Amino acid sequence: MLVTKKIKSKSNKGDGTRALTLKEVTVKYRSYKERPTSLKESIIRFVRHGTFRHYSTFDALSKINLTIPKGHIIGIIGSNGSGKSTLLKVLAGVLLPTAGVVERSGSIASLIELGAGFDPELNAIENLYLHGSLYRKSKAAIKARISHILNFAELEEFAFTPVKYYSSGMFARLGFSAAIDIDPDILLVDEILAVGDERFKDKCDTVFRTFIESGKTIVMVSHNMDMLVRTTDTIVVLSRGEVIFSGDPKEAVNIYRDPNYQTRLTAGE
Amino acid sequence: MIAAVTFIPDFFVQLFLYRGYLCQSVIRDLRTKYKRSMLGYLWTMLHPLGMMVILAVVFAGIMRIPVRDYSIFLFCGMLPFNFFSSTALMSLGSIRANARLFGQVPVPKYIFVLSITFSNLFNFIVALVPLLILMLILERPIPITALTFPIMMIPIVCITIGVSLILATSNVFFEDTLHLSEVGMQAIYFLSPVLYRREDLPQWLVDILVISNPLFNQIEFFRDIFFSGVLPDPKLFAINLASSLVVLALGLWIFKRSEDKFLYFV
Repeated sequence: MLVTKKIKSKSNKGDGTRALTLKEVTVKYRSYKERPTSLKESIIRFVRHGTFRHYSTFDALSKINLTIPKGHIIGIIGSNGSGKSTLLKVLAGVLLPTAGVVERSGSIASLIELGAGFDPELNAIENLYLHGSLYRKSKAAIKARISHILNFAELEEFAFTPVKYYSSGMFARLGFSAAIDIDPDILLVDEILAVGDERFKDKCDTVFRTFIESGKTIVMVSHNMDMLVRTTDTIVVLSRGEVIFSGDPKEAVNIYRDPNYQTRLTAGE
Repeated sequence: MIAAVTFIPDFFVQLFLYRGYLCQSVIRDLRTKYKRSMLGYLWTMLHPLGMMVILAVVFAGIMRIPVRDYSIFLFCGMLPFNFFSSTALMSLGSIRANARLFGQVPVPKYIFVLSITFSNLFNFIVALVPLLILMLILERPIPITALTFPIMMIPIVCITIGVSLILATSNVFFEDTLHLSEVGMQAIYFLSPVLYRREDLPQWLVDILVISNPLFNQIEFFRDIFFSGVLPDPKLFAINLASSLVVLALGLWIFKRSEDKFLYFV
């Protein structure tokens, strides 16, 4: 799902070279012991233990300092639970960090769960209007792009079919095409899944390449090390919520594959 | 505290920025609501009509409340109450229901509550059509004061949004809120002059209700412009409007304070 966000002027450095900067960013999640979700249980817990607290906190991201320059492709790797998705959410502006500052220069969109915002009962065109309005695009602006999007997704003949009847590939193609159309300055990609067949994949690669060539930035999370080494300029390695390395792709992958690399499991968390 | 009040203009700015989404969302709701049913959108009118017929038969026919044209009396009171009640109850689950969405796209989260509000508002206005038809059939004159209905709706909409925001926030942290609210709505239903008139209650009770339940006056105002052809006392209306705006501001404040935590809880 692509998300566009114009700069939130919290602190707008915008010196023209940096796309994203994170300073001391921390995100604390709760780790529930036994999560009471009702008023009754909260009261019972209070009576029993003298506290409403039923959780401990852990740092999904811990004091992250990161600078992402413009016009680069950055890869983010790490084991499950190392904080990759959380990091993307923070970058996208969807999750406010518990501490720290995020600076953005340019519009952001994230390509994560395709079609999260689509209504299955509506057809492709209606969904495109809905999707576009979520990014504050005017009806006229959306209308002008509809045929282009459907053309790219190769779904013109299914434009009036409710999307719940689409195959998963069709749905993903529609989601991807709608998302790409937002044309942000910074693109965040989380495990971009098997979208369509090879021909379509090639189309997507071309789009990404055009992206980079026009000086935009891509941040990619993936487990596909070979692809990352081939495409990215820099790779950031996360481990247990911390950045342990940021630099040359090959070296990053080696660090990740090193037996000393700490996952949350090996650290006994 | 004064700095905190910036959330009010911010609310209107966001409302304007996302007007496209609100519009699309309401259209979407209307499209999908009765998509497969035979009668389709007609149900928006038939549903309140049906409810009113049942109540009229029970109360006018069986329990005999001595009001001429009781069915119209009921209908006028039901419409605003149902708008309030269904918006509040539907908003309760709206945050959780849209978690996938705002987990990816940064949107101001009250947009979901507003979307429900405007959908229901549209249905509210459409339901005026069967009301007028009913009045024509029963040969009850439609007073000119009925034209002021948009003004009468303003305080109702304000308090509905305020209460819906509070309930939606609460439900994120305490899922019981839904059940409590369903019971609460029933209570408010009977504490509002939908089924009865002000005169049917002891004065001391009316005095308490008028102060504690802003809907009490609002329902009366709304009903009177259709049923009795009477405009509300301007002072009373102003006070009621002011208290509704306070509830709206309160709801916005509570919502904004908690909004950033939602993603951690849904």
